[in-house]
Amino acid sequence: MLKIRDLSVHYGKIKAVRQIDMDIAQGEIVSLIGANGAGKSTTLRALSGLVKAAGGSVEFEGKDITGWNAKSIVEAGISHCPEGRQIFPRMTVMENLELGAYTRKDTKNLSVEYDRIFEYFPVLAQRRSQMGGTLSGGEQQMLAIGRALMSKPKLLLLDEPSLGLAPLLVEKIFEIIQNINREGMTVLLIEQNAWQALNIANRGYVMETGSVAVTGAASELLHNDHVRRAYLGE
Amino acid sequence: MFQEFVQQIVNGLVLGSTYALIALGLTMIYGILGIVNWAHSELYMLGAFVGVFLVVHLKLPFLLGLVLAMLVMALFGMAMDLLVFRPLRSAPEMNMIIGTLGISIFLVQAAVIVFSPNPVRFPTEFSDAYLSFMGISITLQRLMVFCVTLVLIALLNYIIKYTTVGKAMRACEQNRDAAKLMGIDINRISLITCAIGAALAAAAGTLVGPIFLVSPQMGLAAISKVFAVVILGGMGNVPGAIWAAFILGLAESLTAGFISSYYKDVVTFCILITVLIIKPAGLFGRSQIEKV
Ligand SMILES: Nc1ncnc2c1ncn2[C@@H]1O[C@H](COP(=O)(O)OP(=O)(O)OP(=O)(O)O)[C@@H](O)[C@H]1O
Ligand SMILES: [Mg+2]
Repeated sequence: MLKIRDLSVHYGKIKAVRQIDMDIAQGEIVSLIGANGAGKSTTLRALSGLVKAAGGSVEFEGKDITGWNAKSIVEAGISHCPEGRQIFPRMTVMENLELGAYTRKDTKNLSVEYDRIFEYFPVLAQRRSQMGGTLSGGEQQMLAIGRALMSKPKLLLLDEPSLGLAPLLVEKIFEIIQNINREGMTVLLIEQNAWQALNIANRGYVMETGSVAVTGAASELLHNDHVRRAYLGE
Repeated sequence: MFQEFVQQIVNGLVLGSTYALIALGLTMIYGILGIVNWAHSELYMLGAFVGVFLVVHLKLPFLLGLVLAMLVMALFGMAMDLLVFRPLRSAPEMNMIIGTLGISIFLVQAAVIVFSPNPVRFPTEFSDAYLSFMGISITLQRLMVFCVTLVLIALLNYIIKYTTVGKAMRACEQNRDAAKLMGIDINRISLITCAIGAALAAAAGTLVGPIFLVSPQMGLAAISKVFAVVILGGMGNVPGAIWAAFILGLAESLTAGFISSYYKDVVTFCILITVLIIKPAGLFGRSQIEKV
């Protein structure tokens, strides 16, 4: 479904991502793990068109989407739920969700998505006319995921959805990611929480200083010595 | 005494309307494009000249002339975005400041050459019509400034609150990257913002041109007050700018009427400085309560 080849991203002189290759097949959960500053978010930002790649190519469903702008990429079916939630603080929950569907032409059928999102996150239904900025951190994360689902993507990019959440909520978010995936969504998941991320994933990539250091089936990575020592705290 | 008071209130509302219409575009362009547009009040000046051309020379009815002047200046605002703002957007901030100051100087001088430096009169069918009650008489033109401003504010409020474009504008203002991730075309939203901002400034020029005089310097005379309004309202804050405009407009005309017109600017900037000391984000500025 997604094929990344030789992708590099630079911020001025900083080479944040260096010639990485990555593949995601339809229906998978792929986890991307790595230390702070390894280049995970930058990879996602390049995929969704927020930053321009310095080199390499990205192919999505057979189309070369390298260098496309963010709008075309959303329309192609990739939705990016960014690090740090990035919801619209002075808009209501409903308005935030509505903006998630900004590129959709079939605005009459949005209720299907609203229902599904409120089923995943009932608290959002209660808070629907509350300003995004007044939600708790966990609620904001739910809103950010819900908003990303509103465009009816084929591929969902999640950047550290468990960041800063209480353990119980982390559990729940991971459960919901699995549910969303079971209903057919392909997911690329960035996580600091390597153990949990690999546990729900089919495959994983480990990034170190801008490059892919290790890759393989999630179960293999969970038993890989290097990964265990560096990311699973053993 | 009472009549004098009402007269100054009316003057204050006219002044406040002018400030509000100019400040709205300035604060929106700052909020959405991140640009401090020093040339913004030249759109007000040019709008007034376009109004003179349409109403005095082509003899169009005033309200039609007003709408057309707004349309002409909306196109002008879009051209300004395409030719100046867009190329400068990724440049360092100083380039942008020099760029918009440059446009201001260019437009003023161009107006001096094209329209002559002398102030021109802008008589309309409403200039000599009076509304009198309780011994107070107000020209219809003054009344209209305030009423049209209210209509335009209501219209803008509707657009920003309820339309898709308006929601996209707010999204760009609140979080530009997230707006891009929603698939919002930032360039298109910037263009629309500049068009709306320029049209509102043009409305101000055409509305008050008939009350004062129209000259190439009228923009320069207004810009410092308009900046005071925008800062007082909180940079990028649309309702804040409206309230601040009327507060300053009323304070200024009441000072001019009851103390001395020498002090009106003093009062404006005293209010500004006092507010900035007590509440640095502006009277209606958002305190940093947002969780990110
Ligand atoms: N806007 C930017 N300008 C300059 N450098 C940046 C920018 N964003 C990120 N970087 C740098 O690029 C590198 C990769 O950052 P990135 O955010 O992709 O890391 P990450 O793997 O997502 O880290 P984290 O786990 O902390 O989120 C870092 O060295 C970072 O300092
Ligand atoms: Mg990151």
